[in-house]
Amino acid sequence: MQLDITLFGIQMPTLLLIFVMSAVVQILLDRMMSDAGIYNHVWHPGLFRTAVFVCLFTIPCLLIYR
Amino acid sequence: MNANNRRIVSFKIFPWQRTLQEWLSVDAPVLIYMAKSTIAALLALWIAMTLNMPDPRTAIFTVFIVMQPQSGLVFSKSYYRVLGTIAGVGMSLLIMGMFAQDPIWFIGFFALWIGFTTAMGLKYRNFQFYGFVLAGYTLCIVALPVIETPLQVFDIAVSRFSEVIIGIMCATVVSDVIFPRRLLDSLITREQERFHNVLSTLSDPDSIFAAFDEANPAVSRFSSGVVGLNATRVNSSFESGAGQKERQHYAHLNQEYMNLSTTFYSLKSIVQAIKKRERIEDLSALKSLYLPVVSVLKTLPETLLTPEDLNRIIRELLAVKNTIQVQLDLEYKRLYESMHSVGEDEFISAAYLIIRLLNELHNHCATYLSLLKHRLSGNASREISRVIQFSTHTDNVLVALAALRGSGVLLLTMIFWIWSGWPYATLTITLAVVIGLLLGTMPSPLDGVKDFFKGAVIALIVAAVYDFYIIPEYTSDLLTLSLLITPVLAFIGWMTTRPKLAIFTFGFVFMFMNQLALDPYYKIEPTKFMESSLAALIGILFGGLAYILVNFWSCSLTQKRVAKILRTQIVRLCDGALNVERSALESTGRDLIQQFSTQGRLNMRSSRLVYEWLLSTLEIGRAILTIRRSIQRLYSHYLHPSVDNAMELIKSYFETPTVSGRDQLLSILQKSLQELHSSPMPTEIGQRKRVEILIVELTLIRTVLINSETFPLLSEDSCN
Repeated sequence: MQLDITLFGIQMPTLLLIFVMSAVVQILLDRMMSDAGIYNHVWHPGLFRTAVFVCLFTIPCLLIYR
Repeated sequence: MNANNRRIVSFKIFPWQRTLQEWLSVDAPVLIYMAKSTIAALLALWIAMTLNMPDPRTAIFTVFIVMQPQSGLVFSKSYYRVLGTIAGVGMSLLIMGMFAQDPIWFIGFFALWIGFTTAMGLKYRNFQFYGFVLAGYTLCIVALPVIETPLQVFDIAVSRFSEVIIGIMCATVVSDVIFPRRLLDSLITREQERFHNVLSTLSDPDSIFAAFDEANPAVSRFSSGVVGLNATRVNSSFESGAGQKERQHYAHLNQEYMNLSTTFYSLKSIVQAIKKRERIEDLSALKSLYLPVVSVLKTLPETLLTPEDLNRIIRELLAVKNTIQVQLDLEYKRLYESMHSVGEDEFISAAYLIIRLLNELHNHCATYLSLLKHRLSGNASREISRVIQFSTHTDNVLVALAALRGSGVLLLTMIFWIWSGWPYATLTITLAVVIGLLLGTMPSPLDGVKDFFKGAVIALIVAAVYDFYIIPEYTSDLLTLSLLITPVLAFIGWMTTRPKLAIFTFGFVFMFMNQLALDPYYKIEPTKFMESSLAALIGILFGGLAYILVNFWSCSLTQKRVAKILRTQIVRLCDGALNVERSALESTGRDLIQQFSTQGRLNMRSSRLVYEWLLSTLEIGRAILTIRRSIQRLYSHYLHPSVDNAMELIKSYFETPTVSGRDQLLSILQKSLQELHSSPMPTEIGQRKRVEILIVELTLIRTVLINSETFPLLSEDSCN
């Protein structure tokens, strides 16, 4: 996959697109997990949440940079 | 050994325990917060410098703007900051693309946008306001610096946006990961306090039957905090861990609390009216009706409530309610036969309000119990499906004034810019706009401007020391720079925790970050520093001037506006849609009063009056809705034309209040009540219930109208 993409004639890094998409996924996931009460069983909800986002963001990043 | 003894023993063993506990609860959070904000700021600086961003100070500035002690506030502020920045950047690209060559159109559009954002900032609550502030501010920092070289606008827009995002990411991650303090926890504590306050107020018969007493904190506290607690609830929704269900519980509790406090105050004011007429036997009858409630609530433990306690209370309240209802039915029968002096009306209304208070208290306890169970075991005992919206109301006159002020100050500074031809005047414009946007919602904006100015001047001195002495002398790389600015960053963090210093801190941060040499390479010159500082200070003065010039708001004007808005609400309820909920009515009213009491320069006496008007409006409005609903479901042969007449008259009286209109309305209300009493009651239970509702609600309207002498006639000027 390319490292740059062109959107409406503007060239931008693919990372940006991945970032936005993983943010959207993260928001949905977060809502689902908090409704399911998963955060009540986690030691540090904030850290857990950050870690989930890092996973969501870095996995596609690693895939395109391979 | 009882708890007290145990405590004494433990103090003997650990003599510093109390000191330690106090330190942990009071001082440690401040230190933690200082550390957190410093770490976040340094992290933002490091990332922005490593990525070679042209202006790392934007990132570090953003950190301090969104940083708050509780994570929920940081998330909420960040969210709206991102939205505001996107809107501002988009608008900058648009405006520069279209009007960069044409000063008149450029300034015109600029002024429109600033006016719009200032107005919207006033109209929206919580941190949504902040989003609009940022949308206006971003246009200034993106479009103005590149006015001579419009082709650079895209680059500058992208870099400003990236820097803001870096700042936000650092602030949110640090505040959620390092010693997070959750807003939800403070929400829970405040809700607990409020619930205990309700129970203790209601368990004291004097709080209802004694005269209005400003000194009794329990009673005055009963009305406060609805709007603030709602804001906390909204902001906490950004945190992890608060499920949909829990937030709905809070919304319901807030709503029920509003209903309870309205009923409580209505009951109290009617009891005062009965007292004034010296109807001792009515008063003692009411007291004896209320006493069982007191005896139930008195049995509650002072401290922690368990679900078992609450369960018992709820059962007992239900039983008490049933006995009071039976007692009242007998009383009503006697009263209906001997109608209708004003005093008897008042008794019926007060008794009805006691029942309503009990119903609402019962509901409130049940919701609270359900929340407790939900928190303890995850099983709410109450299925809450209805979503409650907290409606707000902003007066359009206030909004229009804000827009006028925002656009006005922009035009003024633009004239200053064109007239002086000074390249640094763009900073004047930015500062003036920021002052106009940010302080518009404060109770006394002029004092805010003074604080901001003081903060800015002190920041300039500190920044000068850093720029011309410390940074050129001692820094060699990013690490030394970070170490050297750490004390100031920590100091800013400390200032943020002092509510009194809020605006001062903002001025300090704004100016310090603007003038500090945090560029990728050192490029500060004394002349540039002096000129830009002067421009910024002039900008603050312009902003302050706008608050002096566009400010013809006064106490009596506020009273007139509030009365008009409340009257219009009642008129709308008389012929508008029937699906208005009581929650919407209550929250709109309270939000309105909150706004006017911060903006409208009311004195103590007139804010009391305005609050009384709100209660009358809520009471009459709710009664009108109930009457209209009952009329709709009543068979036509039970309907009396005089009831319709009364409703018509209520509407016209609130459209144009006159003394004769009031007399006419009161007499028609009496006439319709007499007709309802004298005609035979329906035998079918549902229909009978509806006729009884009509009687009670009409009586209540009549009582409220008789007792509220200043609304809507405005016969007294309390402003002098």
